[in-house]
Amino acid sequence: MNKIGLILFLILFFIQGCLDFTKPVDDLISLELKIYHEWLYAHRVLGLQNNDQMIEKPLGVESLILTLKMVDDGGVKIKTHCLYYRVPYKKIIGVLKILELKSDSSCPESPVSTSWLELIAIKNLKLKLENFKLSLSFSHNEKNIVWTFLLPNLNAGIIHEKYQAARDNKLFPNLSLLRINEESFEESRSLYVGKINDHFSNGSAHLCYQVNKNCQEVLPDKCDECRFGWYQVVDYQCPRGGSRYCGQNHCGEKGEPACPRGESFLQDQEPGICQSDLSPVWNGDHLLICQ
Amino acid sequence: MKNFKRFFLSIFILSLCAVSFFFLWKNLKIQWIDKPKTEQFIQERQGLERLLKNSSEIHRIWQDGEDSREWVQLKKECLNYFKINTIFDESLLRCHPMILQCIDKFYKKLDFHFVSPIGERSSQEKIYRYLTKSNTVHQQLPASGYLFTIEDNQTSQKLNLFLSDSCHEVFLPKRMYAYGEEVQEDDYKFDNFDQNIYIDRHLITHSEINEWIDFGNLDQVHGLKKKDGNDLFLPATDLTMDQMLGYCSFRGKQLMLAHYFDAATFLPMDLAENNPVKIKRSPYYWTKKKSEFKPNCHYLYANECISKFPYRLNFSEPTWTGLMDAMGGGFEAFRNPIDPDSNLKASSMHFNFKSPWHKLGFRAGWDGEGFDIRHFDFKAIEPSIISQHFEVGFRCMRESK
Repeated sequence: MNKIGLILFLILFFIQGCLDFTKPVDDLISLELKIYHEWLYAHRVLGLQNNDQMIEKPLGVESLILTLKMVDDGGVKIKTHCLYYRVPYKKIIGVLKILELKSDSSCPESPVSTSWLELIAIKNLKLKLENFKLSLSFSHNEKNIVWTFLLPNLNAGIIHEKYQAARDNKLFPNLSLLRINEESFEESRSLYVGKINDHFSNGSAHLCYQVNKNCQEVLPDKCDECRFGWYQVVDYQCPRGGSRYCGQNHCGEKGEPACPRGESFLQDQEPGICQSDLSPVWNGDHLLICQ
Repeated sequence: MKNFKRFFLSIFILSLCAVSFFFLWKNLKIQWIDKPKTEQFIQERQGLERLLKNSSEIHRIWQDGEDSREWVQLKKECLNYFKINTIFDESLLRCHPMILQCIDKFYKKLDFHFVSPIGERSSQEKIYRYLTKSNTVHQQLPASGYLFTIEDNQTSQKLNLFLSDSCHEVFLPKRMYAYGEEVQEDDYKFDNFDQNIYIDRHLITHSEINEWIDFGNLDQVHGLKKKDGNDLFLPATDLTMDQMLGYCSFRGKQLMLAHYFDAATFLPMDLAENNPVKIKRSPYYWTKKKSEFKPNCHYLYANECISKFPYRLNFSEPTWTGLMDAMGGGFEAFRNPIDPDSNLKASSMHFNFKSPWHKLGFRAGWDGEGFDIRHFDFKAIEPSIISQHFEVGFRCMRESK
């Protein structure tokens, strides 16, 4: 009887030892922190379909639920985080995977390489994006967990108001978090376009946005990448204005584009502004030049 | 057989004990040895949350400037530290690093501190670095502004904050405008219905040029000297036209265009009608009446005002769009794409109230290369004071998406 008691005790001891062999708390905190350190710099969130609704489909299959864009260390390049979720189904457990792409590219439909982060045995996942905060709520080991990440770099556009300065529609307008290191100042790695002495008249100006006569974007807007600002030229009357060039504006001067005179004057004899001794003429690319 | 059973049972019990002890040891290790790691994660998260909370406070001070309680508390020490003993427009402290510098210097009970950002290269050990797209390769930089690095006192975690300095711009309402003084024949009209134009509210200050000298392209700032003390918030008036163009480019902007200055200063007769057929305009920004001239220093800082009030930036009333110093004060240079030789706002303290120069849209000429009288064309309406060295201010503008 004593022997049986001893064996039972040992079996219980064994089971207890095995049962506690999990470390959910510190694992979750470290994962949450790992995500937070990255998503703090996210400037775009794409593909969120069911905001604040539990993800219930497709069952048992990994599918893309969210894409985030952020800068890498040093802020030199844009990278992409792709979130995949497998909804648990029968014996298939729920998994959240984050894939990191080292470029500004679109996410594959399912994770193709090793995950940057993996959280297994989760269910009832819900994503909520509200007031520049992204929340992930889910169940893990029968516990309800909510992770909330502030996204101070997420920009919902510029607010233009009469008599006011431009204001970014952000958590903290006019405040961004940067990822600065020595690489952030290596000029050879710059992706910003243009030199201080670029002139349209000598052919050195860079186009950063171009539209055609049907107002289709021939060149998508990249004017945020202009090192020394940008200016609009007169070519076609489009909802977003005409094409744009990077650099110092010399509009109105000889050989330079005419300054925009506004949409009311596009059919006018003088649709653009030139120096009084020059006249605006359309060049071969249907761009108004001062000659 | 019995011995064999005992032997087998003993082996089984010992194995069970070994496995149980192994798992128990693992658990204890997790709880005791790894516990500091868990705590470290928790502390790290708390540190990050503190940094974010402090960022929000810094952002508040940045936006509120002279209205912040920190400025009220620190004003005396801060002005002493920067050797400023004259009155200046304290709204210039919004989106300006001075208050944060003083918080770093004089506030001791904070749970964070400022550290010099990586790459800060000025001689004064500044706690910030001025960033534009021309001096960093960091992507997604919103505009020009100041980089501050804050460090949490407990966890030593750091956060790089970029505070944009765009709060001193005004939006030009979308409407029909006209260039220059009103003429009997057809006006030269233009509109900005499809453009978002932002104009600097005030003239560029020495303080702003100091950042260009410290963080801009050394080739362009040749001959310019940094200013301090009472000069910090006075207009920068010693730049050539090329340097003005270069400075605005450094900040991703353009030198103010004369016709947009007219747009932002002529008071529209009917604000509700944004596309009037005839654009009537008064030569004075404060009234719709053409004859209502006011020899008042708060509208127009003319020659007579020098003996009454010391000149300072933003002394006069704002125009209808919020632009300061539209008349009087110092000279202001533009780029005029219509009449390039009329590129100088001559209405200034160099002329008395009776001078014909005090009219909107009426401009003198400046060759942009020097500051003595031979570089200026006053069209035979010479200044009351012939200075050996005139001063010319400027401002920038930009188009936004």
